[in-house]
Amino acid sequence: MDPFATLGLEPRFDLDASLLEERHRELSRVLHPDKHVAASGSERRMALSRAIEVNEAFRILRDPVRRAEKLFEQHGVPTGEASQSKASPALLMEMMEAREELADAARAKKLDRVVALGAAMQEREAALVAKLAQAFAAAGDDKQKLGDAESILGELRYAKRYLDEVAAFEEALTE
Amino acid sequence: MNLLEIYDPKAAPRPIGIDLGTTNSIVARMRDDVPTVIEDCDQEWLVPSVVHFDPRGIAIVGSSAKRLAAADPSNTIASVKRLMGRGADDEETKRLGTNEFVVPTTEDEKKTVRIKVRDRLLTPVEISAEILRKLKQMAVDELKSVGGAVITVPAYFDDAQRQATKDAAKLAGLDVLRLLNEPTAAALAYGVDKKKDGLFAVYDLGGGTFDITILRLDDGVFEVKSTGGDSQLGGDDMDRAIAEPLLSRMTNGAISDVPVELRRAALDAARKVKHALTDTNEIEIELPVKGGGTTSFRFTRDELDALIAPIVERTGVACRRALRDAGIKPADLDGVILVGGSTRVPYVRSYVAKVFGREPLADIDPEKVVALGAAIQAHQLAGEGDKDELLLLDVLPLSLGVETMGGVVERILPRNTTIPTGARQIFTTYADKQTGFELHVVQGERELASDCRSLAKFTLKGIPPMPAGLARLELTFTVDADGLLKVDAKELTTGIAQTVEVKPSYGLGEEEVEAMLMAALDHGEDDLNARRLIEERVEAERVLFATRKAMQTDADLLGTDERTQIEEAAADLDKAIAGTSANVIHARLELLDTATKAWAGRRMDRAVAQAIAGKNLDSIEGDVAHARGVDAHVEEHARRAEER
Repeated sequence: MDPFATLGLEPRFDLDASLLEERHRELSRVLHPDKHVAASGSERRMALSRAIEVNEAFRILRDPVRRAEKLFEQHGVPTGEASQSKASPALLMEMMEAREELADAARAKKLDRVVALGAAMQEREAALVAKLAQAFAAAGDDKQKLGDAESILGELRYAKRYLDEVAAFEEALTE
Repeated sequence: MNLLEIYDPKAAPRPIGIDLGTTNSIVARMRDDVPTVIEDCDQEWLVPSVVHFDPRGIAIVGSSAKRLAAADPSNTIASVKRLMGRGADDEETKRLGTNEFVVPTTEDEKKTVRIKVRDRLLTPVEISAEILRKLKQMAVDELKSVGGAVITVPAYFDDAQRQATKDAAKLAGLDVLRLLNEPTAAALAYGVDKKKDGLFAVYDLGGGTFDITILRLDDGVFEVKSTGGDSQLGGDDMDRAIAEPLLSRMTNGAISDVPVELRRAALDAARKVKHALTDTNEIEIELPVKGGGTTSFRFTRDELDALIAPIVERTGVACRRALRDAGIKPADLDGVILVGGSTRVPYVRSYVAKVFGREPLADIDPEKVVALGAAIQAHQLAGEGDKDELLLLDVLPLSLGVETMGGVVERILPRNTTIPTGARQIFTTYADKQTGFELHVVQGERELASDCRSLAKFTLKGIPPMPAGLARLELTFTVDADGLLKVDAKELTTGIAQTVEVKPSYGLGEEEVEAMLMAALDHGEDDLNARRLIEERVEAERVLFATRKAMQTDADLLGTDERTQIEEAAADLDKAIAGTSANVIHARLELLDTATKAWAGRRMDRAVAQAIAGKNLDSIEGDVAHARGVDAHVEEHARRAEER
């Protein structure tokens, strides 16, 4: 499935978020099963499968990591586990230390510290998304340059995993 | 049971909305475009969800049953909603209650709670069906003929609880248009009434369930961003907490081995205390004492707050998680809507204000608002509202996953995914010549399958014998707009669709529901056939109406031959409806379906093209021309839809 085509959007990383939401909403108005309750069986099934496709496309494009993965995939640039090895040792070390720092704060039940670390990582995530958008814009269809942009994606994935941990710790500490 | 009540050819069937609550249930409908609750012959709209079985085994539902609860608690069932979709060994069945639960002896019996009432063993589905029958009768008395129904469920209900609710509706002879999440229903009623867009939190604390939903209202679209809650938390738990000290007083501290009558009395007194302390700060009540006589007991608001605080504070965890899942802060909200009878408790209101940092809104009766929303949605689904006006986009409340090696859950669909949704996953065989495959589907957020809620075990058979790892099984998970899961399997190497044998972990099997349906009808098979005929007629008329309406609006997408074929198929179906064979109606409906299929695909393509182009663009003509030439594309979609 091409999520960009499903939502009738130009395949690019820096999507207009409000346009994305609007497309999802307007297509849902047309395809949602509630709009086909009285229809024949095959029309109902058709609407259901297309509504599922639209929701899935929306879910992919809303997430910067998955959106980037789709674009790399469309350009034939390998991503995911296959390219993880390319992550620089320095980044790996930094991330390992950052996660230890977070785990220490959680163990010491320092909620404020966990929240602060989360906020800092959120800022870094936003910066990475902006950096990735620039890299995509600069690379165009150049496969070599796209390959370089892929390394930013690895860092973004780390940030995401870190933020998931922050959420889990926050939940555990506020319960 | 009178079967004609759902098919009176003279009266047009009217859609209804039902709030099937833990403590009380309500049925509502649209009257002159205003959602209105339906009253019974005593002008009461709030039907206590209490069922009493009299010595002849006949069910009495509502206020009369509630009055009988004190005198005959073991033959009276209250709060049955909390047992829906629950197994016999579930914690919930062991709590302070007044009914006798049957100890399961077989694996099948473990799948659903059974309550001993006189000489019968009843499931929660059957008891809920009695409540639904009463509500349906109230609607029939007012509307003459009842069409489809929207039934609300807590947003946090899992698959088994939703399925149990649907089974109960089937048993009560209701045509379910949709299961609607309670907070979404409330938001719908609220949004339609106030016509105000924005980001809202719906805090819904009922008798037995708690839901928190964050949603955005935008131009008639209600988009749920996140939902959370606890399907075992509500006013009942407050009553139990308040009842403890009362019971201790009534028995002089000897809490064990208390007669059920005394327990019932303690719970009733607890509810009275809770209600009275909504408006006053202190109350004195008379309590019966074990062995005879009475004693008086003084209760203050502070004492009440101290008892219920731990229960209310459990809602905060879910609220914070829902905010985090929606990616928002309390300050981003435009309002917090209160729903459910338990939100009348002052401590609850002040707690909500504290969590969200603002005073909550309660200007629509929090007890009625869910039923009113259900009535609006039913009206809409029955095609009576302005079709494009409203749309509800809801989410999956709990993550879906499958158990993998070592009992670890592999997540397939995360919570808060917009529904309908689906996912495909490839599995492979791990032994040579393996011809079968078992898959355990669970729902929940925990890492281990044993900590999640077991949904079902799927057994796939008929895989051609191959070396290990060669057979590739593709499983398609589909969650429909009711939040119910369906799984299909295909072996990719040979392309053979596999037979999937589904064993739900909890709830009733299809055959069990059929058997109950037969037993509930006076003349078994004859009545069942009569009901099938009615159902086929309703369905056929619904499709015919929609088809003919579309033939006027989308005539330009019809070829001449196609139009003739559809008209013929429709005329044949008309004749079948006038006849008395359910099978003939069914077969003719299938023929109409085939005749309209390609055209339906073109209509959908055009609608999609228009949605993408935007409403105010003039380029639609081009899209229409495109839509005419996309038969191949339509076929492709249809084929894919079939495969699913």
